[in-house]
Amino acid sequence: MKKESNVPVVLGLDVGTSRIVVARRNGEETETGSQLNAFVNVPYAPMTEKALKREEIPFERRSAELLVHGNEAPRFADLLNVEARRPMTLGVLNSGEREGLAVVRKIVSTLIGDSPKNESRGRIYYSVPAVPLSGGALTEEGLTYHDATVKNLLEEMGFETRSITEGLAVIYSELEDTNYTGIGVSCGGGLCNVSLAYLSMPAISFSIPKAGDFIDASTAAVTGDLATRVRMAKEESFHFNGNFSDKLLQAINVYYDDMISTLIARMKEAFSNSRRMPKLTRPVPIVLSGGTATPKGFRERFERALSATSFPLAISEIRMASDPLTATARGALISALAEN
Amino acid sequence: MKRVRELAFRLREPWIAWRAQQIADPVSRLRYLRQATSPTPFPRAPKVMITFAGMAAGAALLIPGHPGNLVREVAFHAPPASVLAGTTQPVPTDVWMIDSRDGQYEIYSNGLRLETAGAVSYQPRVWRQMMRPSLNSGELRHDPVGIVYHTTESHIAPFEPGQTDRLKRVGQWLITYLRRERSYHYLIDRFGRVHRIVKESDAAGHAGRSVWADSSSVYVNMNHEFLGVAFESATQTGDVPTQAVTPAQIRAARELTEMLRAKYRISSVNCVTHAQVSVNPLNHRIGNHTDWASNFPFLALGLPDNYELPIAAMEIFGFGYDQDFVTATGGRLWKGLLLTEERVRQAASAEGVSVAPYRAQLKEKYRKQLAELPASGESKEKQI
Repeated sequence: MKKESNVPVVLGLDVGTSRIVVARRNGEETETGSQLNAFVNVPYAPMTEKALKREEIPFERRSAELLVHGNEAPRFADLLNVEARRPMTLGVLNSGEREGLAVVRKIVSTLIGDSPKNESRGRIYYSVPAVPLSGGALTEEGLTYHDATVKNLLEEMGFETRSITEGLAVIYSELEDTNYTGIGVSCGGGLCNVSLAYLSMPAISFSIPKAGDFIDASTAAVTGDLATRVRMAKEESFHFNGNFSDKLLQAINVYYDDMISTLIARMKEAFSNSRRMPKLTRPVPIVLSGGTATPKGFRERFERALSATSFPLAISEIRMASDPLTATARGALISALAEN
Repeated sequence: MKRVRELAFRLREPWIAWRAQQIADPVSRLRYLRQATSPTPFPRAPKVMITFAGMAAGAALLIPGHPGNLVREVAFHAPPASVLAGTTQPVPTDVWMIDSRDGQYEIYSNGLRLETAGAVSYQPRVWRQMMRPSLNSGELRHDPVGIVYHTTESHIAPFEPGQTDRLKRVGQWLITYLRRERSYHYLIDRFGRVHRIVKESDAAGHAGRSVWADSSSVYVNMNHEFLGVAFESATQTGDVPTQAVTPAQIRAARELTEMLRAKYRISSVNCVTHAQVSVNPLNHRIGNHTDWASNFPFLALGLPDNYELPIAAMEIFGFGYDQDFVTATGGRLWKGLLLTEERVRQAASAEGVSVAPYRAQLKEKYRKQLAELPASGESKEKQI
C-alpha cells in the first residue's frame, strides 16, 4: 500500500454496516472514496492470487484461502453462490464474525493508506450510530464497545480521533443553508440514524434497527434468494412507484414501506416525547441520505408517509442529500475541519 | 442560573443565526456556531451585577426591534417606513450656560462642565447641503447638524484608585496629542471630565471618509457637518455591556449630548457612531473605522437605539461590508444592516432591476459626488 506523506491530514470516515467511506479535502474540493464493508473467502490458488493482484482487487492471503474484501466482495460471493460475510451488523462490529475487525482495518487501510506505528498522521472524525430508541439487539454497551474499538484501530494508525453520530454528520454535510438546523436521516445497511440539531447543536439523536439489511433479509426469507442477491437487485433495479411483476422487487417494495413507516413512527415518538427538544421558531428541513435512501422515488414515498401522519414538528422541506452515499463522511470531515 | 443562561442565549440567538449566515465557508460557519452556542461558564457576578443583568434582559425584551424578539419581523416583513423619520427623540429643552471663565471652563444648566483651556482652532465650519433624494446642492451652512461618537483607541490604564496619577498623566498626553492633530471637538476623559479640543465653530478631522443621511439631507465626509465627541476608551466587540467606559464618562456624555442637541437643534437621528458612518471608497465598504461598532450606550445618553437605523452609505451609495466588520459589530447593529439590505432590495425592485446593477448605479452616484467635493473647495479629507 502506498505510504502517505508526513503532512498531517484531516479526514472524515463513515464506518457503516454496508460501506466505509472516507472524505478528505483537496484544495477547495472534497474528495471521497468508498469500499463495501464486506468480504468473502475464496479458495487459494496461485492463479487466483495472480489474477486478483493484476486486477488490483484488495485481498489478504490466509494459508488455504484468500480473503477478498471491499467492492469486489459481492461479485465473488455471487460467483461462488455464497453469502458475502459482513464485518459489521446493525451499525456495529459483528461479534459473531471472527475476521470482522481485521477486515475493517484492511478496508480502512485501503482507503487511507498505512503508516508506521506511532507516526502521527493527523485528525480523523468517524461516524458511530446513535443509541437506539428502544431496546433490541443493539445496546448502549454494544455501541460503547464498537466506538472504543474503532477509536483504538484509528489511533493505532496514527490518528487523533473523535466520533460523531451519523445523523449529525449528515446535518453538517447538507444543512449549511439553515445554519445546521434541521433533521438529518441516514438510512444505511444496519440502521437508520436520525439527528435533530439546532444551530449546529445536537439536540436529539437515535437509531432504529430497521434499514437495508432488514429489507434484504426479510425479502430473502420470502423469496428464498440469498440476501446478497437481493441486495444487488435492490441496488441495481429497484425503484419506487413501479408495477412489479417480479416477486423479488415486489417484496423489496413491501419491506421498504415497512421500514419507512417504522422510521417515521419512531421520529414522531422521539420528537413528541423528548425533554431535550429545542424551541424551534420556524419549520425545519429533513435531509435523507444513505445507500438505502438512494432508490428513485424514496424521497417522495417518505414525504407521502410523513404527510399522512400528524408530525410534531413543522417541516419546511424534505430533500435528498447532494450525494447520499458520502454525506456522512463529508459531514464528519466538516466537523473535523471545524475543530479548533 | 440555568434560566438566566437560557434567557441570555435566547436573546443572542437571532444575532448568532444572522452572523453565521454572513460566513460563506461551511467549515468556518460551523466553527463559529459551535463557539457561539457552546455553554460558556458564567462568572459568579456580584449581586448588583445580576440584578442589572436581569433588568437589562427584561428591558431588552421590551425594546422594540431588539434581536430577542424581532428577527422574524426584520426577515419577513417590509421595514417600517418611519424608521428614518419616526424614531427620533425630541430635541432637549433649553440647556443654557450658567457660568464661565474665559479660556478656562463653561458650566451649563444641566450640570455639564466643559474644560475649555487650550481649545484650538482649525478650519472654519462651512458645508453645502446635499438634498435628499435628488442629491442636488442646497444652501451653504455653518452650523453642525449631528454628532459622531468615537473612541480614542488609546492606551487605557485600569480604572482604580491606585492608578489615579497614571490615569491623569495618560489623559493629559492624549489631550495634547488630540489638540495637535485637531482630532475631535470634545474628549471625555476617564474621570468624566469633558475637554474641548477644537472650537465648535470649526471643523475637526474626526469623521474622515464618511456618509450619513437624515430625512432631508445626505452628508458625505462629515468633518464639517458633524461634531466629533470622543471617549477616552478602546473598542470592545461583542454584546457584553462595555467595561471600556466609566459611569462618569457616560454621565458626562449624556450632559454633553443634551447641551449640543439643545444648542444646535440636533435631531437624534444624527447622533451616531463612527462605525456607522465610516466608509472606505477604495473597496466601497462600510466600517473603515469600527469604533463603537457595538456597545454604544445610546439609551443611557437619552437617545434612541440608533444601531437600528439603516446604514446610509449602503442605502444611498451602494456600499457593502465585509467579514471584519461583521466581526466587529455587536448584537445590535445587525438590525440596521438587515434593514438596509431590505431597503436596497425594495428600491431595486421598484426600479425594475436586480440588486447588483442597482448597487452599481448607487456606487456611480457616490463616485460623482466624491468627484465634486474637492472642486467645490470643501474637501474634508483629514482624518485621525
